[in-house]
Amino acid sequence: MIPVHLRKWAAWAPGIDDVRAWHAWCAEPKELAAEGRPEASFLPALLRRRCSSLTRIMLTVAFECCGEDERAQVGSVFASRHGNINESIELLERLALQQPLSPTRFSHSVHNAQAGLFSIAAGNRRASSSIAAEADTFGCGYLEALTFLERAPESSVLLVMADVPLSAAFAGLVDEPPASYGLGLLLASDGPGTRLDFGITAGGGAAPRPRWPDALEFLRWLESPEPHLALGAGLRRFEWAKPSKA
Amino acid sequence: MPLMRTRRPCSLAALAMVNALGRHPDEIWPRLIRGDQSGFRAREDLIPGRKLLVAEVAGALPAVPDRLRQYACRNNSLTLAALEQIEKPISDLILAVGRDRIGVVMGTSTSGVSDAEIAIRHRVATGALARSFHYSQLEFGGVAGFLAELLGLAGPAYTISTACSSGARALVSARSLLALGVCDAVIAGATDSLCGLTTNGFAALQVLSDGITNPSSANRDGLTLGEGSALFLVTRDAGGIQLCGVGESSEAHHMSAPDPDGFGAEQAMRGALADAGMRPAEIAYLNLHGTGTSLNDRMESSAISRVFGVSPLCSSTKSLVGHTLGAAGAMEAGFCWLVLREPSAGEIDLIPHAYDGQLDPELVGLRLVGPGMHVPTGPVMTNSFGFGGNNCTLILARLPA
Repeated sequence: MIPVHLRKWAAWAPGIDDVRAWHAWCAEPKELAAEGRPEASFLPALLRRRCSSLTRIMLTVAFECCGEDERAQVGSVFASRHGNINESIELLERLALQQPLSPTRFSHSVHNAQAGLFSIAAGNRRASSSIAAEADTFGCGYLEALTFLERAPESSVLLVMADVPLSAAFAGLVDEPPASYGLGLLLASDGPGTRLDFGITAGGGAAPRPRWPDALEFLRWLESPEPHLALGAGLRRFEWAKPSKA
Repeated sequence: MPLMRTRRPCSLAALAMVNALGRHPDEIWPRLIRGDQSGFRAREDLIPGRKLLVAEVAGALPAVPDRLRQYACRNNSLTLAALEQIEKPISDLILAVGRDRIGVVMGTSTSGVSDAEIAIRHRVATGALARSFHYSQLEFGGVAGFLAELLGLAGPAYTISTACSSGARALVSARSLLALGVCDAVIAGATDSLCGLTTNGFAALQVLSDGITNPSSANRDGLTLGEGSALFLVTRDAGGIQLCGVGESSEAHHMSAPDPDGFGAEQAMRGALADAGMRPAEIAYLNLHGTGTSLNDRMESSAISRVFGVSPLCSSTKSLVGHTLGAAGAMEAGFCWLVLREPSAGEIDLIPHAYDGQLDPELVGLRLVGPGMHVPTGPVMTNSFGFGGNNCTLILARLPA
């Protein structure tokens, strides 16, 4: 398995927006609200005005995970199954009506829009990636973050995983409860923090889909005494372990 | 042979490719080397009221098998047209290392949006999505998920979508997955397909040319879009054509325009050279990002002059196959692979820079490849710069086993 040190985490969901609230949720999880967005008051007003809910969630957990100096220095991986597809659907509806597209809306509909906005807001010129992997997006995002540590072991890497529900046009097309949430993890090859080991194995057929989004299942496990976690209901399984402190 | 510090072998063991110039590298290569611009066609259905030249893949494409019909879309048919070229090496690899040890990393900026456009038009007209539409056709993760499901691969499978650097980044991640020991082989590449969303989006940004893109020319008027797929088999074998260096940067500048000084581009090229342990003078050929917009061409050229001093021989291939956006990074790495494939008497043939010959005076010093040029074999570089300020440079070289 591949070792990594988790320096810090931050999470956001409607009404669950600080560490105490997350501790309470992890101990006794309850339904997540589908809609909502954080204030993101740390962003300049001009930038904030243009930010979608997903962008606000991603930048909120990203900024909470790293201090000001670190923010400009980390590599970053933005993982989202749906990304800005709701924005793309709006653009496609305009096209269907033969209406012209707004250039700003188009350039903010790309999957790496949040990575670009993070780079601008944090003054970060380091490597950045934006990924999606259907139901395996969190596990693959975690792995993509490890590839950053492989190339630049001396830097830390910020992983942000977030999603918002699909818009009405596509509601019901995906078998998952609608939820708005984000999780940020600041990971490093070494140094302080909680050591976690990670690996991938072949899936053993159809496992029951967990109750909560993978990222939040991971957070619940992190805050629990459980030594092992396995996620993934398809071809592959993502496994995490907390090495016992000898 | 210059001394090179490759960290670990990362072999680009096989290449598959489809674009406006053909359905196979063997068909595409002679047309590239001739500077053949006959792959562009006019379409009137993409932008209302505007005839647009695009580099499209003409003719019928292979169908996605019925058992995977949730993935049936033009984008995946393009991937399939490439995949069919390397079925044999892939099945050999599955026998050699097992399905659990092979990963898939794909780049895209479109996924199946051209099919989603039909579904949404249907919904706007009738209130319901077209019945043939499945979310897996549109979601970005489906581009890699399709290949993994088709081949039954249980290694990691994900899609990178960082606009025009997506395809280059897929190769970067593939190399790291091998180095991490998570996979013994990775199918890595990228596919993008022509659609209304990107053509109208780029039209709104006022960066589309009225004809065939004319990169580096004083008369240039923007980019021309294309489509296609390029796939590599990436393994840990030593020798052959290797991915020797990768460089990455973000711009912290603007969502849809590069930093005019080209600092992000410079950082990516310097990063790739440092990663490969090479001096700038060793680079025998540079495949430009070369989109044919003034902003891109000028910032790329000024970054090149700072990194190299004397420019290496350069060409943009976007005036031959269009700008394939999310696929461009893998496509152009594929062109570099073809340049390195068959050195003859220690020399490699370079792909000419197809344009009107009127070099923009602001690009003074940029050395463009002319027809029929060949140089002593050496490492080659390719640049990819994306929306959101996401840059990636790759260096490929042919190494002894």
